[in-house]
Amino acid sequence: MSAAVEVPEKGSFRGLSDLPLVARQVQYEQLSFWLNPIGALMTIAFSVVFLILLGATAGTSTVSSYGHIKLIDYYVAGFCGYGVMAACFTILAITLVNRREMGLLKRLRLSPLPTWMAMAAILVNAMIVAALGVILLLVVGRLGYSVHGPAHWLPFAVTLIVAMLCYSALGLGMSTLVPNADAAGPMVSLTFFILVALSGLWFPIAPGSGLATFADYFPIRHLINALVASFTGQPGTPLWPWRDLGVMAIWGVAGVIVGLRRWSWSPKRG
Amino acid sequence: MERGLVVPAITVEHLSKSYGDTVAVRDVSFEVQKGEVFALLGPNGAGKTTTVEILEGFRNRTGGTVQTLGVDPSDHITQRWLRTRIGVVLQELAIEPYYSVRQVLSRNAGYYPNPRPIDEVIELIGLREKADERIKKLSGGQQRRLDVGLGIIGNPELLFLDEPTTGLDPAGRRDTWDLIKRLSSAGTTVLLTTHYMDEVEALAHRVAVLFGQEIVASGTPSSIGGRDLGAATIRFRLPEGVALGELPMTAEPGTDDHVVIHTEDELRVLHELTGWALDGGHALAGLSVLRESLEDVYLGLTRSDA
Repeated sequence: MSAAVEVPEKGSFRGLSDLPLVARQVQYEQLSFWLNPIGALMTIAFSVVFLILLGATAGTSTVSSYGHIKLIDYYVAGFCGYGVMAACFTILAITLVNRREMGLLKRLRLSPLPTWMAMAAILVNAMIVAALGVILLLVVGRLGYSVHGPAHWLPFAVTLIVAMLCYSALGLGMSTLVPNADAAGPMVSLTFFILVALSGLWFPIAPGSGLATFADYFPIRHLINALVASFTGQPGTPLWPWRDLGVMAIWGVAGVIVGLRRWSWSPKRG
Repeated sequence: MERGLVVPAITVEHLSKSYGDTVAVRDVSFEVQKGEVFALLGPNGAGKTTTVEILEGFRNRTGGTVQTLGVDPSDHITQRWLRTRIGVVLQELAIEPYYSVRQVLSRNAGYYPNPRPIDEVIELIGLREKADERIKKLSGGQQRRLDVGLGIIGNPELLFLDEPTTGLDPAGRRDTWDLIKRLSSAGTTVLLTTHYMDEVEALAHRVAVLFGQEIVASGTPSSIGGRDLGAATIRFRLPEGVALGELPMTAEPGTDDHVVIHTEDELRVLHELTGWALDGGHALAGLSVLRESLEDVYLGLTRSDA
């Protein structure tokens, strides 16, 4: 049998037109997400159900530790943070572990789709899901509890975007710590609920308390504080919560570093 | 490298790969020509998958040189170009469960500059009736066929098949063999790893056996390990009324009323035997000449005490 393979001239590779490919990949990520309606419902509906249940008991209560803002305002802003974390941290981490263990990441790596495009599509998909959850929470807050917010739209939106990036990075890092698909749900969910408990979302934590000091080391309390501040526009609070955004950014960078150092395209099956 | 230079589809020279102190592949060399179906055989842990992953550019090597379609698969500059020209079927099934057959093929087709038409691939893998079915509802064999479909959707020049028929029923295996033969006839080069010897005999032009992290034999399926040169066994039913001692050469009783003759000179023995039968008017029912099977050769090469 004779040899006959033409070798490409070096540099003849021109690639594909990349941005339409990213958009196309996002469409397929969205399709995959919505084709699993139970998973989609659980991701988005959880925060809405919690808001409805807690909102029904909030009445006219106020939160003294936040300058006596209405408790329902606190819940609407806080659950927006919860929804972002659920979509960008929990679902992203579990999805990445499952895809890695199923061999899907390996197959993706062996396809011509550049890695950055695949990862960007996964990230954008999580952000879209998170954004839909936030919109739904704001609508439920307005229609169900007459909550009018946010007071400052731009800081609120920027906080959400920084949070999406931070928690996506943490989801990426977390996925590399999970040894197998069976462990993904328990490990990621436990981490999530511990962080949420530390955030003061269920029960507002008094500033200056020991628990608040401890919780300040973690990113979720900063997310809740930043969202509540821009949502309620409470007098005396700065318009831009730089410190909260900075802490989230540091955690995000840490998540990326862990993710990149421990990343595997192959199943770990530990 | 100059444009237009003609090279093999795959060239491997003194390839080695280690993970720390563990050697996965040691001094492996072989070539695969365009249009050839080349099989890599070996027990689990012999280094087949590591070798294939290095050729695909999925893993970096420790030593030696490797060229896949004329480029170094670990070279990041040409890696994306290379991946538009190769197809991969992984050892383990890797497909998202919620898409339909058509959706997942359409998605992957978009990664390639010159993909095969979706309907053509669906037809080739025999899933026309299931084209719009969710993947999670397909049987294991159907999912495996879809996996093969994903491997060929990009219209690859070189296809890596890592145990592609594992888990398929006999009909599914035959269909996959037919598909591989058609791809090969159309000029696609195939690098196949498998544990099935009949698959190698049916498909492979050449085969190499990996054992102990190195190649211990290579050649055509009919000649590997001196298979075409060793002793042959001539087998036939003893003619009625003839005693064993009346045969013109030494023979032993075999199973099912047959007798067997072991010889390294089967042409001469057959000539004497058939001449004797014709002269005496004897029938030699069930006459056959057997050589070592590929499985015998393989097991001989890969015995741990060999």
